[in-house]
Amino acid sequence: MSGFLERLRLGPCLLLDGGFGSMLIARGLPARDPPDRWTVDRPEEVLAVHRAYVEAGSEAIHANTFGANAARLSRHGLADRIAEINRTAVRLARSAGASYVVADVGPTGEHLPPVGRGDPREWRRQFLEQGRILAESGIDAFHVETMTDVREALLALEALREAAPATPVLVSLAFERKKRGFFTIMGDPAAPSLVRLHEAGAAAVGANCGITSRDMRDLATEALASTGVPLVFQPNAGSPERTADGIRYAQDPEAFADDLAPLLLEPRVVGLGGCCGTDPRFIAALRARMSARQRGRPEPAPGRPA
Amino acid sequence: MEHAELARSVIEGNAEEARRLARAWAESGGDPLEAVERGFAEGIRRVGELWEEGEYFLPELIQGAEAMKAALAALRPSLERSRGVERRKGCVVIGTVEGDLHDIGKSLVATMLSAHGFEVHDLGSDVPIARFVEEARVRGADIVAASALLTTTMVFQRDLADAVRSARLPGSPRLMVGGAPTTPEWAAEIGAIHAENALRAVAAAEAAIP
Repeated sequence: MSGFLERLRLGPCLLLDGGFGSMLIARGLPARDPPDRWTVDRPEEVLAVHRAYVEAGSEAIHANTFGANAARLSRHGLADRIAEINRTAVRLARSAGASYVVADVGPTGEHLPPVGRGDPREWRRQFLEQGRILAESGIDAFHVETMTDVREALLALEALREAAPATPVLVSLAFERKKRGFFTIMGDPAAPSLVRLHEAGAAAVGANCGITSRDMRDLATEALASTGVPLVFQPNAGSPERTADGIRYAQDPEAFADDLAPLLLEPRVVGLGGCCGTDPRFIAALRARMSARQRGRPEPAPGRPA
Repeated sequence: MEHAELARSVIEGNAEEARRLARAWAESGGDPLEAVERGFAEGIRRVGELWEEGEYFLPELIQGAEAMKAALAALRPSLERSRGVERRKGCVVIGTVEGDLHDIGKSLVATMLSAHGFEVHDLGSDVPIARFVEEARVRGADIVAASALLTTTMVFQRDLADAVRSARLPGSPRLMVGGAPTTPEWAAEIGAIHAENALRAVAAAEAAIP
């Protein structure tokens, strides 16, 4: 029995954390270094970001393991440190004081033919490997994030469920807004893809990255209307803009929270947070909206994970 | 054989069919330029439109470009035989900048340029500036194209612009930049051409080479 699953089922909406890589970059992570390197080289910085999110009100935080699969680590000469990097990342997240630690599982960065030359069997092996290490490190859930191909998301989900059958898995895809609705770059349509992932065993499904809070609210409205599955959303902080000092995500945390506030009234939205460009101010703004709307939910709502 | 049939093979992303039709066209003594311009190229234009309209996605776009390349390869001998026609549109050296592992957008631009008859040398991702410059020198590039998907690596496009200018390469290649964080204003600021997407990259490359 997972306390995390119980928490999702009973509500209210779980507040997640926000952007991580963008926070480390703000703290000096060099452009050519992966965020995973700082888990072992600069653990105090990783911990500081986790703590900032916990202070802002995140109830569940993601460990810094998004890129800690064999495919991605090997591109940085870190493949032989995969166990150390994943374990240390979970330990750092755990020590930040959040109620729940969610292992972040990102894509391999490869693509299936005809777009790329990815090998699904190799992907499966890698997700299984990362999943086993993470499960042994003591996590409350997995979150497969930023997937642009529903086939890779399904592979990751199946591998993680094999690695740790008792650990809940959340799955989020990255969608783009097209004329006919929301699709991944590979052409997977939003609602049917989310239903498929839920049927394959995901505790909650949703979207992260790629789109702004405004578009994410529209996507959420569509998903609420046309599916019956538990949902989780983590939009970006608007679109990146150039300024004299460099690049910034221009969106105001209050506007971000206003866009997402209507979703707090939806019992089936079980988790909300932010992605690229969001920082603890965005989470604090969401926390304020939540506190204002907090109300008891004695009965589990229909559609919540069983 | 109808032009529309040639175009359809590309629109449907059927490389086998495109190759077969191109060979049959050449064997029957048809004008290869006509097959490209009124047939296959119409197909790849339509594929690009369908992608921009959100009807096609990455797999369909790549398959269309692969079909186009198959047709061009099959027609190449007869294209080269046809008198007075120099179809080499230009040489492009392309890669994703140092520190950036994003491959997909850059590969898409490379594939589309190649499908439109450019000679393309794809250096992959995480390419150091010196390598761009050296490859441009060796290949006699008309265009050096650099992709950046991260706001943090985009600055290397400026360094590359400076390096290409100061290297004084023969033919003075133009720099083309693209990737999610790039804008026309950024390209203008560093003296580069901006490629908004793979389709626009082709138009921009064609316009940049006299």
